[in-house]
Amino acid sequence: MMVRTFDPIELELLWRRLISLVDEAAAALVRTSFSTLVRESYDFSCIVTDERGQSLVQATESIPSFIGTLPATVKHFLRFFPAESLEPGDVLITNDLWMGTGHLPDITVAKPIFLDGRLVAFSASTAHAPDIGGKIRSPEPREVFEEGLQIPPLKLMRRGAMDETLVAILRQNVRTPDQTLGDLWAQVVALDVMEERLVALMRGHGLPDLTDLAAEIQGRCEQAMRAAIRALPDGTYRSELQTDGLLETPITLRMALTVAGDEIRMDLSGSDPQVDRAINCAMCYTYAMCMYGVKVCTEPNLPNNEGAFRPIHLTAPAGTIVNPVFPAPGGSRMLIGHYLPMLVFGCLGQVVPERVMAACGSPMWGMNQSGVRTMPDGSLKPYANMFFYNGGMGGNSHAEGLSCLSWPSNVSSTSVEISEHIAPLRFRHKKLRDGSGGTGRHRGGLGQEIHIEVLSETPIAVSFLAERTIIPAFGIEGGQPGACGELRVNGAKVDPKRQYVLRQGETVTLCTPGGGGHGPG
Amino acid sequence: MSLSPSLSLGIDIGGTFTDLVLHDPASGRATIWKESTTPDDPSRGAMAGALEVLRRAGRRPEEVARVVHATTLFTNALIERKGARTALVTTAGFRDTLEIGRERKYELYDIFLTMPKPLVPREWRREATERLAPDGSVETPLDLDAAVREVEALVAEGAESLAIVFLHAHANPAHERALGEAVARRFPSLSLSLSSDIAPEIREYPRASTTCANAYVRPLAEKYLARLEAQLRAAGIPGGLFLMLSNGGLTHAAEARRAPVQLLESGPAAGALAGAWFGRKAGLGNVLAFDMGGTTAKLALVDDGEPLVAWGFEAAREKRFLRGSGLPIQITTVELIEIGAGGGSIARRSGLGTLAVGPDSAGAQPGPACYGRGGTEPTVTDADLMLGHLDAGFFLGGEMRIERGLAQAAFARLAGELGVAEARAALGVHDVVNENMAGAARVAVAERGRAPQDYALLATGGAGPVHAWAVARRLGISRVACPPGAGAGSTIGMLMAPARADRVGTYAVPLARAEPAAMRAILDALESEARAVLRGTGADLAATSVRRLADMRYIGQGSEITVALPDGLSPEAVRAGFEEAYRRLFSRTPPGAAIEFVALRLSLSAPMPGSGGALDLLRHAGGEKRKGSRPVFHADAADWVETAVYDRYALAPGDRIEGPAVFEENESTFVIGPGSVATVLPDGTILAEKA
Repeated sequence: MMVRTFDPIELELLWRRLISLVDEAAAALVRTSFSTLVRESYDFSCIVTDERGQSLVQATESIPSFIGTLPATVKHFLRFFPAESLEPGDVLITNDLWMGTGHLPDITVAKPIFLDGRLVAFSASTAHAPDIGGKIRSPEPREVFEEGLQIPPLKLMRRGAMDETLVAILRQNVRTPDQTLGDLWAQVVALDVMEERLVALMRGHGLPDLTDLAAEIQGRCEQAMRAAIRALPDGTYRSELQTDGLLETPITLRMALTVAGDEIRMDLSGSDPQVDRAINCAMCYTYAMCMYGVKVCTEPNLPNNEGAFRPIHLTAPAGTIVNPVFPAPGGSRMLIGHYLPMLVFGCLGQVVPERVMAACGSPMWGMNQSGVRTMPDGSLKPYANMFFYNGGMGGNSHAEGLSCLSWPSNVSSTSVEISEHIAPLRFRHKKLRDGSGGTGRHRGGLGQEIHIEVLSETPIAVSFLAERTIIPAFGIEGGQPGACGELRVNGAKVDPKRQYVLRQGETVTLCTPGGGGHGPG
Repeated sequence: MSLSPSLSLGIDIGGTFTDLVLHDPASGRATIWKESTTPDDPSRGAMAGALEVLRRAGRRPEEVARVVHATTLFTNALIERKGARTALVTTAGFRDTLEIGRERKYELYDIFLTMPKPLVPREWRREATERLAPDGSVETPLDLDAAVREVEALVAEGAESLAIVFLHAHANPAHERALGEAVARRFPSLSLSLSSDIAPEIREYPRASTTCANAYVRPLAEKYLARLEAQLRAAGIPGGLFLMLSNGGLTHAAEARRAPVQLLESGPAAGALAGAWFGRKAGLGNVLAFDMGGTTAKLALVDDGEPLVAWGFEAAREKRFLRGSGLPIQITTVELIEIGAGGGSIARRSGLGTLAVGPDSAGAQPGPACYGRGGTEPTVTDADLMLGHLDAGFFLGGEMRIERGLAQAAFARLAGELGVAEARAALGVHDVVNENMAGAARVAVAERGRAPQDYALLATGGAGPVHAWAVARRLGISRVACPPGAGAGSTIGMLMAPARADRVGTYAVPLARAEPAAMRAILDALESEARAVLRGTGADLAATSVRRLADMRYIGQGSEITVALPDGLSPEAVRAGFEEAYRRLFSRTPPGAAIEFVALRLSLSAPMPGSGGALDLLRHAGGEKRKGSRPVFHADAADWVETAVYDRYALAPGDRIEGPAVFEENESTFVIGPGSVATVLPDGTILAEKA
């Protein structure tokens, strides 16, 4: 068969159209979503892949967690549902921890797209559901079974008809059935938008399939990434860091990164074994975070598609905390995963020190609460909320680290007024932590201190995402580490990985960590 | 001779030029003039221009009944950080809200990104002991004496303007007002901005950001507007001064001085309004107003003759085209999509070997290669010249020479880098920039649940009419309108603008517990505030149009949609209206979800005297209509076609011309493709339709 070629102009035009159609779908998803994480933090992704699940384009605003995870999920779908078993109008679904994104609230759906009866592409979307059942998000679960409903790869829709059995099971197993289902609808709408626009585009340009276009787009990104890697000196660079881990037991992460010609190999051998707490970081998420780290210091502006990451390889021994095996829990995987780009920086910083920064006050912090609220009509209603807060970024070769900014994720914090509106809490202060940035020629960004009093007449359960309370964000090039984070209940320092029950008048204080400094002070 | 003043004078101060238009509502005659902006004192250029446009029209200052004004002055003050020395008093524990912001990056892969600096430095952000609950009830009374002492210290340190932002003040303004009144008594010359007054909406960061932005520009606005009024008076112009608001309406100078933050987008709003006005005149219902200049293109959706408004925007972005990189400003504003695509946009081989156009622009200096001012990189204007869409001998009506040879040389280099023929490269630039604009339009239209085919495209700006037909083809739009004087379109829009006031009040109640009487009371209060503003404008209050709206959502959602409220406010009708609006936007409603109110909005507008009527721009009656012909490359035909060239000034209403055709006027050139038919409408607008 003849290979279709594209000149640089037609290619740009087709590429733009593909980007605009995934962005159109993303706009529809954001506007219809119930989940704060989708709406305000863009904790979702929309992509188009070719018929083999190789991604062509990703929506502009999605966060790095989904680099590579979504096309990998589509490839898993194809294992369960080979091409010949798919029909127009089918929608596939899963939230499997290993085939998805490493934790259950992320639901992935994909739709096969047909042109003249032939499978030509998939539209796919992952979004963070408002709730997926199970234990309230915390590091406490010991097995994935405690973390909520697991959905194996299934058909959510067959030829346009919803699987009502699956919907009924889903509704029964989540705390917020209307919202979780509402978001699933929003995702299906996004899949439809991509399908409709893609078919019109292919007909308009006389493309019988996406094979040649995919090869061109992925090939160019692959070449650009190879060129960037070729510019790095060959060699094996090692780094290691410790996380707070579980109280008194720090967890060590190790990486050996080898630059050989135009390829990079990362090996996480030597990292600690998986644990029976929900901080294990499944390989899919490990992959996303490591690729993000490499991209930031090689070709940050490269579009995200399959080709960009072909020259980069990652291995991690099964059973380690960065490649845990069933039934390891992973609900708080970012407590390990958010360290991984730093591990990459530790390696590549040895050859391109000007392109990395000192350690950040990440992973992100969060406070989860659940309890019972008295409604205005006197009735009692269960409620659950998750609020996110961020530490400071590391200083870099150009400037001071920015204060209170989400990195490597991009989760905004909830406004105090909204928080007080939806939860029986009173915020007494939310302020910058003076002196928390590591000193240096370029100081690390500041963390913040948030002091919250419980107003609820009934007890509420709180749990946290809190890291760097023992091991601070390190400085680089002679800069000093940032201040450690601190979690206090009623003024006393406590174990941040545990759940607490608080009564009226009791307080919680979250002090997020500062970023490390850059250069001697 | 005693004439009762009847003329309208429009003044639009931009960064480079001050556009002026004088309109006689009786005859419809309009005269346009461009004066260079005088950045040190913009009112100087404005006054010189005003006298010049009067001279050209042969009219006297005493005949001017009203002056309508738009300016980028306050926006620039924010961008350049040249506003007043501003301080903030806020609730104890929260002085860092302004600096902590949303904790979110606008660029995921750039670790060197910078965030906008707060308008108030930390040492000037002070705290007051007070606390309100989310419902507005007082939990800790305001310690007024201590708060006033903080202000005393700030004034002693040189603060000129003060913002007061207390938590939950949108639900109860009592503490902000108490402090405001005490401060006003003690420091009558200190400029004051209260959050409950400027942006009474939930979410402390955007409310604080908006209030501080207002405080930051307010002293400037007070001085500037007073000076301009005095100068108009001194020049013998008796008419009142009206200001264009970001929402597309007019207000009087006193309201503009109170809340100048409402003026930040006044220039672009005027452009969208001009689009709406010309669209209405041309009998087009839904219009996509498309304004393409030298550096950017702006798109605005106009539904049924009204520009769509948004309830917030961002000012002073760190990265112009990146959402999230600016200061959030919660005001009503005409919704505009800005794209880095203009005549000066530079074409380059991208890092991936494809052809990229913009957002970098050669601007006016050095400008496109064909200007011969030292620019060597090929731009969109160079491509337009290469493709015959522009005529080297008739650029800016022949007042400026441009060189085809220079454009060609620039394209030869680019074509070599891309490995394509020169003509292909030029056409490629045309196609890529058009696709960039069409792509942005598609996403914008999709965000509102509409289809581009429901719209007509209305082209303004220097480059808009050159590209409009091709952009319309990409969007599947079959009608394109090009009003006369496209270069000064926004100034004309101001003269046609109604007086308008928008007000918002908090109403956080589930629909199931909403009480029509309570809603009515809030809306009536908002309406009487709005009426008081309009009363001061001299607008025709007998012809007011009132819109009662609500921000609503399904409980659990975090972003609201704004929907029109039915008369009578019955819960059933409100629900039906919300669900219909929701379905229109998102195609389906979630099953079984409950609905809640977030806020109530009221929008009041009334026509200004002299704003109706006809518009007649100078033309050469009886001149030769057809100037000749030239080969033009048309993307629809994928080929060069010998194309008739018309002198736009010589065309008369009712003229019907088959495409392809080129219509030349001084500020722009309107190009239509084969298979189209153009008609000249009574006001001189050319409406081209796919045959």
